[in-house]
Amino acid sequence: MENFKKLLDEAKKCVRCGICNSVCPTYNVLRKESVGPRGRVALIRERATTGDGAGFGKEFAIDLKACTLCGSCLGSCPRDVDVPKLILGARTAVVESEGLSVGAGLVFKNFLAPGKLAGLALKTASRLKRLLLKSSVGENGLLRRFSLPIIGKGRLVPNLADIFFLDRPEVKKLARVEAKEGRPRIGFFAGCGINYLMPEVGVATIKAVTDLGADLIIPSKQVCCGMPALSAGDRKTAKELAIKNLNAFEDEDLDYITTSCATCSNALKSVFLELLGDDPEHQERVQRFTSKVRDVTELLANELSYKDKGDKKEGLVTWHDPCHLSRYQGVREEPRELILKSGYAFKGMKNPCKCCGLGGGLVFSDYELSIEVTKKKAQNILSTKASIVATACPGCIVQLRDALHRYTPKDELIPKVVHVLELL
Amino acid sequence: MSLPPPIKKKLGRIFEPKSISFSKEDLLCYSYDATGESHLPDVVVFPTTAEEISLTLKLANESGFPVIPRGGGSGFTGGTLPVSGGVVISTQRMTSISIDQENLVADVGSGLLTGDLQDEVEELGLFYPPDPTSVKFSTIGGNIAENAGGPRAVKYGTTRDYVLGLEVVLPNGDIVRTGVKTAKGVVGYDLTRLLVGSEGTLGIITKAFLRLIPKPKEKALMYAVFGDLASAADVVSTIIREKITPSTLEFIDGASIRCAEEYVSTGIKSGAEAVLLIETDGTLKSVEDSTALIKKICQENKVLEFRVAKDKKEIKDLWKLRKNLSPALYKIKPTKINEDIVVPRSMLTSLVTGVQEIAEARGVLIVSFGHAGDGNIHVNVMIDKDDPDEAKRGAEAVSDVFDLTLSLGGTISGEHGVGVTKAPYLSRELSSSLLSVMRGIKDVLDPKGILNPGKIFLSPSNKEN
Ligand SMILES: Cc1cc2nc3c(=O)[nH]c(=O)nc-3n(C[C@H](O)[C@H](O)[C@H](O)COP(=O)(O)OP(=O)(O)OC[C@H]3O[C@@H](n4cnc5c(N)ncnc54)[C@H](O)[C@@H]3O)c2cc1C
Ligand code: SF4
Ligand code: SF4
Repeated sequence: MENFKKLLDEAKKCVRCGICNSVCPTYNVLRKESVGPRGRVALIRERATTGDGAGFGKEFAIDLKACTLCGSCLGSCPRDVDVPKLILGARTAVVESEGLSVGAGLVFKNFLAPGKLAGLALKTASRLKRLLLKSSVGENGLLRRFSLPIIGKGRLVPNLADIFFLDRPEVKKLARVEAKEGRPRIGFFAGCGINYLMPEVGVATIKAVTDLGADLIIPSKQVCCGMPALSAGDRKTAKELAIKNLNAFEDEDLDYITTSCATCSNALKSVFLELLGDDPEHQERVQRFTSKVRDVTELLANELSYKDKGDKKEGLVTWHDPCHLSRYQGVREEPRELILKSGYAFKGMKNPCKCCGLGGGLVFSDYELSIEVTKKKAQNILSTKASIVATACPGCIVQLRDALHRYTPKDELIPKVVHVLELL
Repeated sequence: MSLPPPIKKKLGRIFEPKSISFSKEDLLCYSYDATGESHLPDVVVFPTTAEEISLTLKLANESGFPVIPRGGGSGFTGGTLPVSGGVVISTQRMTSISIDQENLVADVGSGLLTGDLQDEVEELGLFYPPDPTSVKFSTIGGNIAENAGGPRAVKYGTTRDYVLGLEVVLPNGDIVRTGVKTAKGVVGYDLTRLLVGSEGTLGIITKAFLRLIPKPKEKALMYAVFGDLASAADVVSTIIREKITPSTLEFIDGASIRCAEEYVSTGIKSGAEAVLLIETDGTLKSVEDSTALIKKICQENKVLEFRVAKDKKEIKDLWKLRKNLSPALYKIKPTKINEDIVVPRSMLTSLVTGVQEIAEARGVLIVSFGHAGDGNIHVNVMIDKDDPDEAKRGAEAVSDVFDLTLSLGGTISGEHGVGVTKAPYLSRELSSSLLSVMRGIKDVLDPKGILNPGKIFLSPSNKEN
């Protein structure tokens, strides 16, 4: 109850004009007030005012979960009501009063100790995957379809990497790097997406950064950024993870800290600050840490001044703005600049900032809704006729691959989805 | 009143499980609109066919419960508030759309968002002009029920001017088609016009046949800043007198500008007491000519700054500023009493200065903006309703504004409708014989008073005002 009360002032700012509903991806699919920002704020406000007297049932938690935390509503609200923050706050309040669902709890706790439980569990899963997944005819053979209806029939899921990024010998070597005169020292935060699913993006990052005359240091004790836990309302775990990450990067004398996952860079930049900024024990450390964080697209375009090499490459590229990069961090120009300098032809899509549908845990809580959200995005991509979609977030990559596989007409080529670094 | 279980069960037989909800969460989400009031319904249903609505209305007549149509819930006068409980019919899932390019007619479901219709027709080089600033989150049904207008009304008229015919479920459950699908038609009474603006009290619109026109090729957006209200008003009168018909002619006062500036930076000069946002459209030549002429008129009337928006971004920012104005005003005071009065265009200066006199006399802040081109001004009395004295002075100021409006030959609502918030003032504008004709019409169509009771007319029994 107390946790809900904290949300009341923010919720009361809403004047129920409804502007935000028009930009909400889940509202636009279901056209139901309770899955739009205005309804969500009304529900939270009622709960904060009347407590358990609101008479809400299980629908309340379901409505709260059906949000991708894309932040579009905040951008449209003339009253600056921070709806995503309210939703996160409400999810936390629910977890604190009712506990995390058992399954989700296990997952987040396990991420606390990578290389141990999570690693083990995932390694077993890596072996089991052949039983669960049907091969797909999809692009570059990397992808497989889930055959289990509970997870979403016909769903394309990414393969777990055979050797996780952080376990690779060439990556382990970078845990400690001697300081060298004239070479900026850049800490790399891999994040779960790159570690478990897309080591190739990590490898591309190493190459891009070192090619530009900087050294990349990859501290071995880093853990998950905590966003999945926080999105599910597990603030406590998110905090513990943030502290572990501070510790992991503390000892290195770093000029910058970067990551190739937009969700992680946002977490490292602002969520850490939000979680630990008021904590006297960590305040100073977290400020120092966050001030060094740059998304890899910013780092390459600005600090490391990536230059056009003048070579021309085959293929038309379009760009998808991850919510966590464009809306949450305001980074829009840098990735486009990188594409233009990469030698590929570029064509922008309609509504590039529209959410891919995966975020906020929606892909887990309601896969059907999540992939329906992506439909419009897929159509916008397909109408550019681009052969490659670049973005900067492993989550978006997973979702866009799934959606394009599903929605590309049979007689057309399925566009390839890559991290923008892979174009350089 | 709460619905007895047997009735809920009967409703459950009309709708598929996913199209009906009794959950407290959904009831709360369908208890409000943009007025800030909230009244819980007993049930929310999401029909996809006129038949489902028809069965619901028949049951309502048998069992005597209220039925309230609801579109996007963006109404400003409480038209969709379930003031005495009952069944909210949400049209949000009735979003069909088909466009007849040969006859320039769109056949759309009433729950379609107006903005979605506009996007769709504009891709075909066509145009559906009515543009309430809520286009992106209000529905065609809601627009018709309120006869919504917008900035373009000065040249293109309001929703009314584009409705050729309707498919409507009457309060007794009959499904009828009014009007025509042709460009003309005079057979029988014009029930289409009667239904337009009827605020969901005479029937539930399920489909609309809308007139489209070719999309103008070019347009230009200008903005002109003035140091005093009177000069801006003079510009408006001169533009009209000179027979230039801009496609929009919006007025924003200084207080509103300062408020909206906070989140869209437009670089509008400080010292601005009035801003006009003027758009012209048509062929390249006509746009150029009227832009030059408007510029000249502004210069002759002490304009502080005059600019033609140079690119899409500037156009977008200016419109965003205008569109966000209404909610942004809450930055000034927690409560906004928003009235959308209209006066004959020639009376604009008298209105604007009169309103400021009322504000001073009553000691409240009043900010104004709106569609100056057609004399429709949104007058916002800003108060803190928790301060009883200020609330009282606010109410008095509103009453004065209405008196002023009527004395200038105007009307107390140009587009937001009467709903619940303006019902107490209806008899000031309408004579008692007109009111009784209106009540008579309501009685003929809805003798049991089950459809959207408590709206327009004061009491649920519809016998007062
Ligand atoms: C920020 C903001 C700006 C606005 N700007 C404008 C403006 O510029 N011009 C303007 O005119 N209005 C404006 N409005 C008011 C509002 O958007 C309009 O009145 C709009 O037409 C309401 O449409 P809706 O779909 O939201 O209807 P609702 O609010 O859901 O309902 C409005 C009324 O219509 C009835 N109704 C809805 N659907 C049907 C149906 N299918 N059949 C019968 N009755 C029905 C309801 O019962 C109710 O009486 C604005 C509102 C906001 C919040
Ligand atoms: S835009 Fe803001 S004020 Fe308007 S309904 Fe949404 S959250 Fe509320
Ligand atoms: S964060 Fe995105 S999905 Fe969630 S309410 Fe806002 S717009 Fe909708």
